[in-house]
Amino acid sequence: MEQLFAALEGGLERLNSAPNPEALEAVRVELIGRKGLIAELSKGMGKLSPEERVATGKKLNEAKQTLEAAYEARHAAFKSAALAARLETEWLDLTVPPSGLAPGAMHPITQIQTEIEELFVSMGFAVLDGPEVETEWHNFDALNIPPTHPARDMQDTFWVEGGHLLRTHTSPVQVRGMQTFKPPFRMIAPGRVFRNEEVDASHEHTFSQLEGMMVDRDVSIANLTYFMKTLLAKIFGREDVTVRLRPGYFPFVEPGFELDIQCMVCEGSGCPVCKHSGWVELLPCGLVHPQVLRMGGLDPAEWGGFAFGLGLTRLVMMRYAIDDIRWINSGDLRFLNQFGGPRA
Amino acid sequence: MKFSRNWLADYVPGLAVDGAELGRQITMRTAECEGVEEHAPQLKDVCVARVESVEPIPGSPNVKAVVETGRYGRKTLVCGAPNCRAGLLTAYWPLGIKKIAGVDSEGMLCAGDELGINRDHNLIVELSDVAVGDPLPGLVPDAVIDIDNKSLTHRPDLWGHFGMAREVAATFGLPLQDPTDLSLLPSGEPQVKVEIEDFTLCPRFSAVVFENVKVAPSPLWFQYRLQAVGLNPINNIVDITNYVMAELPQPMHAFDADKVPGQTLVARAANAGERLEALNGETYDLDPAMIVVGGLEGPLAIAGIIGGDPSAIGDSTTRIIFEAANWNPALVRKTTVKLKLRTDASMRFEKSLDPENTLRGLARAIALMKLVCPEATLVGGVADVRGPVTAPAPIKITMPWMAKKLGRTIGQNEVVSILEALGFGVNTASREWEVTVPSWRATKDISMDADLVEEVGRMIGYASITPTAPRMDVVPPKINRERAFHNGLRRRLTNVGFTEVHNYSFVADAEARKFGFDAADHLRVLNPIAEDQALLRISLLPKIWKNIDDNRKHFDQFRLFEIGREIHKRPEGLPDEVPHLAVVVYAKDDGVAGLNQLKRAALDLVPEVTFQPTTSVRVFEHPARTAQVMANETLIGRLFEFHPDFVEVGRAAVLELNLRTLEALANARKTSYTAVNKFPSSSFDLAVVVGARASAGDVAQHLPGAQFIEDYRLPDGRRSLLYRLTISRPDRTLTGDEVTAERTRLIEHLRAQGFELRA
Ligand SMILES: [Zn+2]
Repeated sequence: MEQLFAALEGGLERLNSAPNPEALEAVRVELIGRKGLIAELSKGMGKLSPEERVATGKKLNEAKQTLEAAYEARHAAFKSAALAARLETEWLDLTVPPSGLAPGAMHPITQIQTEIEELFVSMGFAVLDGPEVETEWHNFDALNIPPTHPARDMQDTFWVEGGHLLRTHTSPVQVRGMQTFKPPFRMIAPGRVFRNEEVDASHEHTFSQLEGMMVDRDVSIANLTYFMKTLLAKIFGREDVTVRLRPGYFPFVEPGFELDIQCMVCEGSGCPVCKHSGWVELLPCGLVHPQVLRMGGLDPAEWGGFAFGLGLTRLVMMRYAIDDIRWINSGDLRFLNQFGGPRA
Repeated sequence: MKFSRNWLADYVPGLAVDGAELGRQITMRTAECEGVEEHAPQLKDVCVARVESVEPIPGSPNVKAVVETGRYGRKTLVCGAPNCRAGLLTAYWPLGIKKIAGVDSEGMLCAGDELGINRDHNLIVELSDVAVGDPLPGLVPDAVIDIDNKSLTHRPDLWGHFGMAREVAATFGLPLQDPTDLSLLPSGEPQVKVEIEDFTLCPRFSAVVFENVKVAPSPLWFQYRLQAVGLNPINNIVDITNYVMAELPQPMHAFDADKVPGQTLVARAANAGERLEALNGETYDLDPAMIVVGGLEGPLAIAGIIGGDPSAIGDSTTRIIFEAANWNPALVRKTTVKLKLRTDASMRFEKSLDPENTLRGLARAIALMKLVCPEATLVGGVADVRGPVTAPAPIKITMPWMAKKLGRTIGQNEVVSILEALGFGVNTASREWEVTVPSWRATKDISMDADLVEEVGRMIGYASITPTAPRMDVVPPKINRERAFHNGLRRRLTNVGFTEVHNYSFVADAEARKFGFDAADHLRVLNPIAEDQALLRISLLPKIWKNIDDNRKHFDQFRLFEIGREIHKRPEGLPDEVPHLAVVVYAKDDGVAGLNQLKRAALDLVPEVTFQPTTSVRVFEHPARTAQVMANETLIGRLFEFHPDFVEVGRAAVLELNLRTLEALANARKTSYTAVNKFPSSSFDLAVVVGARASAGDVAQHLPGAQFIEDYRLPDGRRSLLYRLTISRPDRTLTGDEVTAERTRLIEHLRAQGFELRA
C-alpha cells in the first residue's frame, strides 16, 4: 500500500511530462484507468480499519481528482496543438478561380421579352403566339390595310410561295387573339418579324416585336397611357420616365399615336442618339380601329380596345447601348456571353 | 415634305413662333417633324448694291469691281460672273476680307444659288426697281420644316402649305386666311374641250386657256419660295403649276395649246402599244391599266405623273392650257410602280386628293399669272367635267361617348371650336351631334366617329389626358404552356453552361444541299434580299453549324443552344412551324466529353430519355457517333457528333430535339412520390460481358432501375458493363435468401437473352 501510494506520488509528474498523446494515454490507464493504480488501492481498503478507511478514501479521492485534472489539461493541450498543426497545413489559395461550368447566358432578347411577359401576365394579359409565315389577310387586310393602301409601302414584305408572306409585324396576332378569346380579354404577342431591308449597323431584316392588345367595353386613351407608363417604368427601372404622346398614323388604330420617351443619353437636350430632338420613338399605339374589331368578329358598337407594338430589338439596343444591330442575330458568343450575369 | 415657315405664315396672320417651335407643335398635333433648317439666313445681311466700275485682273478670269452698297459703304471685291458690269444692280453679301487673285476682296456679289433662290451659279442676280442698300425685295430668311412623309400617308390635304396652315391656325387659335378667290374663274364658252371617258379613272377634270403668254423666269421672290421647299424653278408657267401643287395641294399641268390638236383633252385609259416621250426625256410604254391625258392624236401626258415632251411649254410658247384634274389614286400608284417613276404630283395623287381642288387650283393659277406673267390674257371660260358626287353622310357623336374614348372630360364649346377650326361643320341641335366632314378630309381620311376622337384628342393635346387604370375583371390569364416549357428549357440549359443564340430563318440553296436537304422541300422566298437567303429553314442545323464554325475561331471550347422554328411546307395553307432545340458542345481537344455532356443534358431535360443506335446517318453526322433520341418509344430527336468533313478542327457534339413532341411528353409527365422505405435495402452488382460494339442500352432495358457503374474493357477486347441493383421491400427487411433469389432470377433472365455474365 505504501508503495502504491509512492507510485501515485510520481504519477502527477509522469502525466505532465508525457511526450505524446499515446504516452499520456498509457499513463492514464496505469494510474486512473478502470484497472489502474487508484482502483487497486481502492480494492485494498477493505483490510483497513474504519478510521483508516475514511482517511485513505479521502486521500485517494483527492489524488484521483488531481490526476484526472492533470490528464484533462495535458490531453486538451495535445488536442489543440494537433488542431493548430492541421489548420496550418490546410492553407488554401482561395483566389484561384473555381473549376466547373459557369452558367451560360440567355439571349438578351429572350431576357427582355421574359421581363415584359411577366409584367403583363401579372396584369392579366395572356401571352399568345402567331405564325412567322402569315396569310396576307392576317398581316394586311384584316388590319385595315387593303392592297391599294399606301401603308403597304411602309413595310417591305418578304413574299413566299403559296401567296403567303413573312409577317412584317406582330399585329396579325391581334386578329388571331380576337378569334381565339371571348371579349373582354387582354393579350400580348412577342415574336420575330421580317422586313425586306438591307442589313447594316442600324437595319435588320429579322427582328423582334411585342404586340399588346386589350379589348373591353370601355377602353380609353387614358387607359392606354396607363399601361404604357407602367410598361416603361418596368423596362427602364424608374418611375419618372418622361414620355410624350403624339399623333401617329397606323391603319389598324384610330386614333393612332407615337409614344416617345425622353432621350436617356442627353436627358432631352439633344444628341446624336435622338437625332438632336431630345426624344426617342419607342411605342406606336392607339385605340383599335373599328374595322379591325369587325375583322376579328367583334362589334365595334359594343367593344373597344387599345393596341401597341414594342420593338424588343430596339429596346435591347437601347438598354445596353449596343452599337450594331447585327450582333443580335450573330450567334457570336463574344457578344452573347456578356448577358449571362444574374439579374435582379 | 418640306414646308416653308414664311409660306405658312401667309395664311396664318399673327403667327409669331419661329420654325423650331412650329416644328415641335406640328409634331405634337399633326405629323412628325424630322427637322427644321434655316433657309438663306444670310439674307438678313445681304443688300442691293450697284456695280460702279469693273476692271480686269491680269492672268485671272475674274474681274475687280467697285460696288456701292449703301448700307456698308463702297467696297472693292473680286467677281467671277460674266454678267458683272458697271451699272448693274445686284446683291451684295458682306463677308469680311479675303484675298482672291491677289486682290483683297471685301465680300461678294451673289448668284441665285448663294441666296437660296434657285440653282444658278454662273451669273450674279440682276435686280431692277430697287434702291441701293435696301434688303432684296420679297426675300427674307426662312425656316424649312421637314415633315416625315409616312406621317402624311393618310392626309392628302397636308401635302400642301394651305392644309398645313389650317392645322397651324387651329393649333395656335389663329385665323386662317384662304388665298383662293373663286370669283377669278372666267365664265363663258371654254376654249378647250375636255372629256372624261370613265369617272372612276378621273373623277374631275378642269382646264382654262391663256393667250399672250410670255415664258420667262419667275420673279426672284417667287423662285425663292419654290426653292426653299425643294422645287427647282424652271420658268414662270411651270413654276405656277408647282406653286399651286405645293400650296393647295393641286398638282397641275400646263400644255402648249398650239401643240394640243383640236384643243381637246381626253382623260382615258391608255391604249395598248401607246408610247409617250415624257418631260424627263424618257420614253414610256403605256398599257390599258394606265390613265393618260389624250389628245386627238395620242397621249399628251401620263395622268397624275408626268407631262409629255411634244406638248411641253417652251420659250416660244404663247398660248397655254392649264389642266387641274383629279385621278384615281390606286391607278396612279400602280402606274408609278410599273414605270418606276414617282413624281411630286404622283405622290400627292396616290393619297386621294380632294376633287373640289381642281377649280380652286385654276383660280390660284389665274391669280398667280397676274403676278408672274402679267402680259397673259384669259380666253374663254373654265372647262369643268366631273362625275356624280355623293356627299358623305354626317358623322354622329355624343359628348359622353367622346369623353369616354378620351378618358377625360371636355367642354362642348371646346370640341366645337376644335372641329370648326379644322373645317368640320358641327350641328349640336340634338344630343347626338352631326358632324360634316370637309371635302379635303372626306376622300378617305375621315369617315367615322373614331376619326373625330383623334381630331379632338390631338388638338387638346394628349398630355392633358391623365393615365388611368381601367376597371377590369380580375382574371388570371391563360398560361401559354408552350412558351413556359421553352423558357424552362432555356433556364435549365443556361444553368449548366449553355448560351442561347438566335439565328436567321433564311438559308441558301447551297447550304441546304451541303446538309443533304432537298431545296424543293423548303418554302421559297419570292423576293429574297440576296440569292443566298432564299429558302426558309427546315432545320436549325445549317446555322448551328455556322455558329460552330464562327465561334471556334475565338474559343477552344464552348456550349450553345438555339430554340427556333423549323418551317415545313404543307400542300395547302400555311406551313407547319415546328419548334426545335439544338444544343452544341464544341471542344478543340475532346474525345467523347461533348457527347457525354449532351447525354447528361438530355437526361436533365427528359428524364425518360434513351439513346438508340442507328445506321441511317445523315451526311453531316459522324457515322459511328450518331444515335436516335427516344422517350417512351417515341422518337424525339438525335444525338450526334458532326462529321469530320464538317468540323475539321476539334469536335462538335449536337443534341437536336423536336420540342412539339417533347412538350406533349412533358405535359403528360407527373412528378410522383413514393414513401421513403423504412426497411434497409440490399445491393448487389452484376457484370455483363458484351462485344466491343454492343449497346449498353440493350442490357439496361433488362435491368430496370439498375444503376450503371462502369464500362470496363477486357483484355480480349470485349467490354464488361457493371450494374448495381438495389432491392428492398416496403414492409420488412429482405432475407439473404431472398436477395440471392432475385440476383439469380436476373442472371438467368439475362442469360436467357443471350448475355454473358462475369463471375
Ligand atoms: Zn439625346
